Amino acid sequence: MLFNSLTFVVFFAVVVTAYWTLRSWEARKNLLLIASYLFYGAWNPPFALLLFATTALDFYLGGRIAAADSPGARKAWMWASVAANLSALGFFKYGNFLLENFQWLLARAGVAYQPPHLDVFLPIGISFYVFHSLSYTLDVYRRVCEPTQSLRDFTLAVSFFPQLVAGPIVRAADFLPQLKEARVLKPGQFGWGLALMTLGLFEKVVFADTLLASSADTIFAYRGSLQSLDAWTGVLAFSGQIFFDFAGYSTCAIGAALCLGFNLKDNFRFPYAAVGFSDFWRRWHISLSTFLRDFLYIPLGGNRSGPARAAVNLMIVMFIGGLWHGAAWTFVVWGLIHGGLLVLERALKAAAGEAAWLQNPLVKAGLGLGTFVAVCFAWAFFRATDFPTASRLVRSMAGVLSGDALLSTREIIQVFSVVGGLLLAHWSLRDTSLEAVVARMPRPVIVAIWTLMLCAVILTQGSGNAFIYFQF
Amino acid sequence: MPSSTFNFEREIPSLPWRSLGLAVVLLTVAATAAWEIRCRAWGYAPTLDDTSDLWAEQRRMVKPDSIVVIGDSRALFDTDLDALEQGLGQRPVQLALVGSCAYPILENLANDENFRGTIICSLLPGIFLAPAGPPVENSLTALKRYQKGTIAQRASHRLSLLLEDRLAFIQQEDLTLEQLLKRLPIPNRAHAQLPPRLPPYFYTLDRDRRARMTEQAARPGELQERIKAGWIPLFTPPPPPSYVPKEAFLQGMGQAIEQRFKDIVTSVAKLHSRGGKIVFVRYPFTGELKKMEDAGTPRAGPWTRIIKETGAPGIYFEDHPELASFDCPEWSHLSGPDSVEFTKRLVPHLKKALSTPAVSQQQGQKP
Repeated sequence: MLFNSLTFVVFFAVVVTAYWTLRSWEARKNLLLIASYLFYGAWNPPFALLLFATTALDFYLGGRIAAADSPGARKAWMWASVAANLSALGFFKYGNFLLENFQWLLARAGVAYQPPHLDVFLPIGISFYVFHSLSYTLDVYRRVCEPTQSLRDFTLAVSFFPQLVAGPIVRAADFLPQLKEARVLKPGQFGWGLALMTLGLFEKVVFADTLLASSADTIFAYRGSLQSLDAWTGVLAFSGQIFFDFAGYSTCAIGAALCLGFNLKDNFRFPYAAVGFSDFWRRWHISLSTFLRDFLYIPLGGNRSGPARAAVNLMIVMFIGGLWHGAAWTFVVWGLIHGGLLVLERALKAAAGEAAWLQNPLVKAGLGLGTFVAVCFAWAFFRATDFPTASRLVRSMAGVLSGDALLSTREIIQVFSVVGGLLLAHWSLRDTSLEAVVARMPRPVIVAIWTLMLCAVILTQGSGNAFIYFQF
Repeated sequence: MPSSTFNFEREIPSLPWRSLGLAVVLLTVAATAAWEIRCRAWGYAPTLDDTSDLWAEQRRMVKPDSIVVIGDSRALFDTDLDALEQGLGQRPVQLALVGSCAYPILENLANDENFRGTIICSLLPGIFLAPAGPPVENSLTALKRYQKGTIAQRASHRLSLLLEDRLAFIQQEDLTLEQLLKRLPIPNRAHAQLPPRLPPYFYTLDRDRRARMTEQAARPGELQERIKAGWIPLFTPPPPPSYVPKEAFLQGMGQAIEQRFKDIVTSVAKLHSRGGKIVFVRYPFTGELKKMEDAGTPRAGPWTRIIKETGAPGIYFEDHPELASFDCPEWSHLSGPDSVEFTKRLVPHLKKALSTPAVSQQQGQKP
């Protein structure tokens, strides 16, 4: 079920009404669990069984980790959970990719091998719920989280419908405590939740789908070289589209959870105002970057073993981070570009030290713009379906190649206006929060903006385009 | 310090959210009502959007012995389902799609082991033989929704029908924010390679996917002229892409079209082998479009070859004075009343064609 669909509007209205009508907290939790599985099963009912199987396994393994009386046993159960979760992810998401690469390697060695094509559907949101579930066993292992005794609560923590298929990656350690006592709505929580849901939908259906998607699609589908203006417009369009699409989903998820009395953390914090790449990753897909930091970078040794080892660790983390997004080398290269930029930034920071000129607002703005431009170049690899396309785009953007003009003037104006506005908004909000800004805003302005967003959403007559991150 | 915080609470802006929300709802309802009134004043009326969901719903209604109409917009506009039902004794299922190549649908039905019914197929060579591009994508998108549509998508479709039936402003081809932005008179770069604009809203559609040209479009006037002006670029083949040498492109196109001829013959033979039938129909077209199509895809070309190689019967409107006497107000489709009369006159020809055993060249024998 998509947030931007009429089915979800009806589903959510029914669930919220029933949820707040029920008096018993246990009954409410049961309702949310049933609703979450309905939400997921509406795509493909059999995949709900897979969701439950991975959840039940981690519930069991979490209990075994906690009950183990030796460090070796704890570690063995933890690795069992890691292996089980990554095997499920590997089979459904990376099976064909691994076979194709295996075939390629054998061919280099002169062995002709034709692997069978695995005709498997990718269960929607598997990358997210596997991480939701895995975070539990890893946190139990780290003693950050007490094992829960309730399979129902854990199943709800993994499948809670607002965040189930496209994040944020909510850790069981953050969610399970919220299931202990009946949730109570704070004043304004429901209204603010609805306002956030409107904002998220507006970002998705108006900015991402209506104003940016077609330009990005046209440019990335083209097999020839492009004029620099068109290449830049296409890549900027995708930069805006992926932000509005994914941040829109996260905002809807946070809003929907608030309407049910739950708190989910921010997944984005005005990322296009980042100054530097470490700042970018503190602002972009925060739930993934903190997951990778806590469960991969730090266990690898982090920066505790010197700059060289830290650089290797960063590259490993960004390699995995790239691959998490999809079974293609273009995603890996995207991750490695970010890894390389992070390493380079650390080296430059070490060389520059605490230089005063770095705090100059103009320098900061320049560095921020430089960060954004580099992020855009990296997006070309993320969005392109193959390296020749990415390479053509990058060379067209750099002015090395010149070619065709594919976009209308209206599309170019649309993209530059929306992305320009996005940059200005992020830059002006980078050191504050949306809540703080709204709290200071005159009430008529809030009503006007909220109404405009709602009217624009209605005017798009959404065709129910799926969110980009569903495919990951 | 791990990033997990057990007692995390989101900040809520301290504002009177109940009254703010109420004001937003009232203003939104008022703005939507005003927009609905404006759209009706412009001549829009409630009608269904021709979505992949609506198509998939009809595809699911195909039974083993159904009569199915496939093809482009001419089959959609010019075939009256009531008249066809009256004439053939069975209500047909309308699977024709605007601007689409019917081949993927034909292939789908030919590969459907359960289907042994009758296909009435509009044969507009320019798009029936298109190897790729929007005409093929339109059909594939609809087929994908039929094959992979989810329960949630079906439910959303049912809910949207309730709104589309009642609200004129729900009109995906003309009144979405994207379409309204496209109307802005902003000049383009002279060398920009842009796809031709699609014609504006000029037909209504019902639950059975029966399309009817609006009266406004059927009358001479500004709307009709705009629609006519839209056909010429749409029916003009695009130039070869700059990244492929022209000769190589034309050779590739030639091979793809040749393959399409073979695939059509194979699909028709499969259908015939199960006792199914197909009749190809060339629906009326007039004016400048006729000059263009006759020059680009003359009857002696693709039409004659497909009829000959598939062994299937064909009805070419110009062969029959009673079918050739219609005028298409905007050159490509019949008006609503004319489509009813045309279908009535088409029925005897369909009956005759379908009673003749087909001899496919590939099969070489009667099915």
